[in-house]
Amino acid sequence: MKTSVFAAGLLAVTAMALPAQADKLDDIIASGTLRCAVVLDFPPMGSRDASNNPIGFDVDYCNDLAAALGVTAEIVETTFPERIPALMSGRVDVAVASTSDTLERAKTVGFSIPYYAFENAVVAREGVEMATWEDMKGKVVGATAGTYEAIWLEGKVKEWGEGEFRPYQTQADVFLALSQGQLDATVATVEVSEASGNFPGIKIVDKAPMVPDYVALITLREEYGLINYMNLFINQQVRTGRYAELYKKWVGEGEPANLTIQGVYR
Amino acid sequence: MFDTALTTNDLIFLAQGAGMTLVVTAISVFFGTILGIIFGVIRYQVGPWWAAPLTFVLDVFRSIPLLIQLVLANAFVTTVLGWRISGFTVACGVLSLYTAAYCAEIVRGGIEAVPATLRRAARSLGMTWGQDMTYVVLPLATRVALPSWIGLALGVMKDSALVYIVQVVELLKSTQILITRLQEPLFLLMICGLFYFLISFPIARLGGYLEKRWSND
Amino acid sequence: MFNYNFRWNQALNSLPQMLEGALVTMEIAILSMVIGISVAILLTLFRLSGNRLLYAIATTWVEIARNTPALFQIYMVHFGLGGFGIHLSPYLSLLIGIAFNNAGYLAENFRGALKAIPETQTRAARSLGMTPIQAFQNVILPQMLRISFLPMTNQMVWAILMTSLGAVVAMNTDLYGVTSDLNARTFRTFELFAIAAVIFYVITKVITLSARLLAARLFRY
Repeated sequence: MKTSVFAAGLLAVTAMALPAQADKLDDIIASGTLRCAVVLDFPPMGSRDASNNPIGFDVDYCNDLAAALGVTAEIVETTFPERIPALMSGRVDVAVASTSDTLERAKTVGFSIPYYAFENAVVAREGVEMATWEDMKGKVVGATAGTYEAIWLEGKVKEWGEGEFRPYQTQADVFLALSQGQLDATVATVEVSEASGNFPGIKIVDKAPMVPDYVALITLREEYGLINYMNLFINQQVRTGRYAELYKKWVGEGEPANLTIQGVYR
Repeated sequence: MFDTALTTNDLIFLAQGAGMTLVVTAISVFFGTILGIIFGVIRYQVGPWWAAPLTFVLDVFRSIPLLIQLVLANAFVTTVLGWRISGFTVACGVLSLYTAAYCAEIVRGGIEAVPATLRRAARSLGMTWGQDMTYVVLPLATRVALPSWIGLALGVMKDSALVYIVQVVELLKSTQILITRLQEPLFLLMICGLFYFLISFPIARLGGYLEKRWSND
Repeated sequence: MFNYNFRWNQALNSLPQMLEGALVTMEIAILSMVIGISVAILLTLFRLSGNRLLYAIATTWVEIARNTPALFQIYMVHFGLGGFGIHLSPYLSLLIGIAFNNAGYLAENFRGALKAIPETQTRAARSLGMTPIQAFQNVILPQMLRISFLPMTNQMVWAILMTSLGAVVAMNTDLYGVTSDLNARTFRTFELFAIAAVIFYVITKVITLSARLLAARLFRY
């Protein structure tokens, strides 16, 4: 009896799996909504306003993409560790979530060209003796689980062979732990560190010696139609000056990061 | 400590989270109990040998962390099978089965507490199996099982704090969202803890009272 | 048949790391039980002492432990105490959080067990010249532990399951922590967590079986 139910279940599954093969770009346009995963504890890229509505660079970017597609945007909040699972599980169509384009991730998801590039900074608690990034050696450090910074920092701690690395679930927990003194230092993007000034007792010490952290939009690996569309969309954002405009709105004065790399094709 | 930036808007936001906690709990306890009764009766009725596969499956739900059950079920249903269902559905589904696994034990314990002689007497009076179950076993087993069942329902409410992992914004998650913005972790966490406590405590007391009252005879 | 390509190899390569994590998980579960049982006995004594303050402390502990989510308790141990300048490592936060929960539930079980032991026994022990402490230690305690042995095994299983909540306090050396760390790198969610689930199942079975063997040795009279 059990096996027959199972077999029936499998049949139903296969039957349901077949029509899902349509191109995601078509699906989005047909459904009229673009569901974006955005991380909302990551100001100025994503946060919430006083009425707890999502705001930020990534939120605007998602809205722009939806507008270009002629659909409405739906912001789905995820944490950093959950954003790719949310994408893989079809709960969102794309992630506009400051996702670093690592080769390990590209085995699983499909990246667009970079839409932003972060510099990372070492942030320390006031009262901790620290002049350069190398002073993190032997200290208790932490970062948001699963991020580019976390992977780099954990690698460093292993390389130094002393000190301790702690991966917290959210950026807010990292800064909270830092301001409470549970951590001595963290590595976070310059933009986020500067925007998180409301945590008492923490200061930016030094730039982290990492290559610029290029972040890209992501969707499912096989959705070439959508990836192609996103690439063109990012190009247009820069070309039309919208990229600079969003930079001024959320990050501040100055030149937005260059998204091209000298001497290599994408 | 009471000098807070918390606005009415935020309280409404928290209340929505609390509402989600209660909705998820209510749905899961409802379906979990029905399934639990069915599984419990089957387990008792067919004997340990034939019930072994069912016993094993139910035991698995009680031996693996709920967090892992949620992550696995979510990954399996949505990524492996490719179904487009919401995190809310996954959360309710997993929590229902989780509830059923514990409920089946409670139900079996309740039925076993009814003396076999009493049931034989009922059958020899000409009652059918259904009549025996409805008029003899049900009232007596309920007395034994209800206090544990109340404990289970409250346990499910507390465990529902884990459904944040499938993107359901319930009470604890909405508290964390507010903490991110307002930076008042202790105050907000106190409110969140107090809410759970205010719901759970009176009901737990009621359970204790029933247990005491019904165990006297 | 499925739209999904399983990559069991990649996940199985991480098995040694996950097994190391499993050891940490077992260590935390066992330690939290030892601490939990000791504290629960203390709380039971507080409740029996007749001192109002001690009674209030014990009752507050038990009710908070039983009426709020374990996730909340662990989070509070780390960030709540952190707000008062008490900094606990993720390991200690998780251990203390689970021990707090264990103690609360066990104290309630012990209270139930005490009811099953006739008061006359204490009086008999006292009239044999035992001090109240001796009477509790030699007469009441062994029976209490014996009666609440089954609830204690259940609590032990919960302690194992609760270790999975350590990720909220940045715990990354236990089984769940290691698995979610690997998941954040490779995103082979299904494969990794399926393996973790199997390991968790084996751990709970090993622990409940050993508890049963232990009971058979301890309680044979």
